[in-house]
Amino acid sequence: MAELPNTTMANECKVKLKSKDDKIFEVEYAVAMQSQTLKNALAHTGCTDTALPLHDISSQILAKVIEYCEYHVNAANTISEKDVKTWDEELVKHMDQDTLFRLIVAAKYLEIHNLVDLMCKTIADRIKDKSVEELREIFHVQNDFTPEEEEQVRRETKWAHGE
Amino acid sequence: MDLVIENLPLENGNDLLQQIGADNARSVLQYLETPADLARISAVSRFWRHFVAENQCSRGLCIKLFPEVSRFVCAFEIGQQVNFEGASLSKVTEWKNIEREHRVYTQLARDLMEPATENNCIQHPISASSTDIFPDESIMYTLHPSAIEDDRPSYWSSQGESNSDVPETLTYRLSSRLCVVHEVKIHPFQAYFQMGLPIYSAKAVRIRLGRTRSSTLLTSGMLDGMMSADRSASEDYVWTYISPEFPMQQEDKLQTFRLPKPVLCIGGILQIELLGRVQRQEMDGLYYICVCHARVVGRPLPAAYDFEALDQEEKYILKYSDRLECCGSLSEDLSRGSSEEYEAGGSSGWLSLSERIRRIRAGRVLLWNQSILKALLGNIVAAILMIPDDEDSDGDDDILRD
Repeated sequence: MAELPNTTMANECKVKLKSKDDKIFEVEYAVAMQSQTLKNALAHTGCTDTALPLHDISSQILAKVIEYCEYHVNAANTISEKDVKTWDEELVKHMDQDTLFRLIVAAKYLEIHNLVDLMCKTIADRIKDKSVEELREIFHVQNDFTPEEEEQVRRETKWAHGE
Repeated sequence: MDLVIENLPLENGNDLLQQIGADNARSVLQYLETPADLARISAVSRFWRHFVAENQCSRGLCIKLFPEVSRFVCAFEIGQQVNFEGASLSKVTEWKNIEREHRVYTQLARDLMEPATENNCIQHPISASSTDIFPDESIMYTLHPSAIEDDRPSYWSSQGESNSDVPETLTYRLSSRLCVVHEVKIHPFQAYFQMGLPIYSAKAVRIRLGRTRSSTLLTSGMLDGMMSADRSASEDYVWTYISPEFPMQQEDKLQTFRLPKPVLCIGGILQIELLGRVQRQEMDGLYYICVCHARVVGRPLPAAYDFEALDQEEKYILKYSDRLECCGSLSEDLSRGSSEEYEAGGSSGWLSLSERIRRIRAGRVLLWNQSILKALLGNIVAAILMIPDDEDSDGDDDILRD
């Protein structure tokens, strides 16, 4: 088993990641360390030239993940919390539903906790204040209540639907 | 209507929310901040209705805003038929129970988030830690807003102390056993009849919320005794919330002490702690604290809510009944001066409920078991809940001991 890279090596080590569609991304060691999953993987392999395969993550999504991690590594001690928050908000502001959901799945798999939280909060923001019909449309949900069930549900939460 | 579990689709086609997995979905729902949002998401599809109820999202929302709610180990909806199918619960029955609890917490979330509606939630003063001249300076006078009532001064005074660190407490009963408290207003007394117009304020104020211990039933006869006695009643109460200290100004005006966030008082008892003395009385050189008026701003929960204490564990059971709304209310009982009923929670039937429940460990799953429920509830309450009498209730305590 390869040894854990020491600090000097860590600074020089580049980590290779391979997306589902076989695209290779190269990132700094510190950036990869944002992911608990990658951290654990690299603890076993050490710094290696072999690309780590990420079978379920497309290049488009992986690019976004890397963008997030790179910004947060660089921002760590240099950029104010407020500005980081603004950057996060900009990242997700116009993100389409599909990307949003695929990103949260990737972030969960890679165990990048801050990114998971950001995604959850963003989805929650998109749920707030929407009507039931709007929610079904946004999240592609089929209404599977029978008409009677639907009526009962509406009756019970009539107060919520008027707001 | 039964939402029968067997027909629940495991996947709803393209449902994006389902695709992110249960853990993420739970995290997403935790970020919702209003009961209305939760209600709408649970009206989207069968899966979401089930998910929201099963994951106790409404309870989670209540606790997020009011951490005291975590003391409720479960919630009963009184008056609804509790269905049992043989000795073991079928999925349908279990689902109905989950739904019921979900409904209570959804309603509770709505009621907790209402703005403060009452300008004075104090129903009755209970006692002061000390009183200088009784009854002329009794705590009763803190109910009157002004310093003069019927041409005589209206205020409470502590006894004098040479040590300015000796604190005092004023204890009040709120107008409901479950009451959301937003702020407390206190007007220290300025002795307008003394030279120099001294203001007998305290250095700081702290608020405690809680309940009486179940063994102490406050009858109206006891109240007079308590108000005149020199006693610290702290041993009679169980405090579930203690506020930070707020500095008090030595000013002749109604001062507002706003809690960092609104708090649910479980038990209806509020105590004002007056910390430190600032004013000596010229006549005897002793320090006094005097209060002209005290008021509690908040929102008593509707009479449909009540609770049972599970004694030492500081856990409670929340009860909710639509029936109580229409058939007379706790507040009506209170106005008839029925202190014992207030403390016992409405009727002797409920007192026996808490006695039995005291013996079990907090465990939601346990309570849904039919034989345990019958053992807990006894016949009177079982009748109210309309539990069928066709099973043997052996009331066996062995079941309750794990």
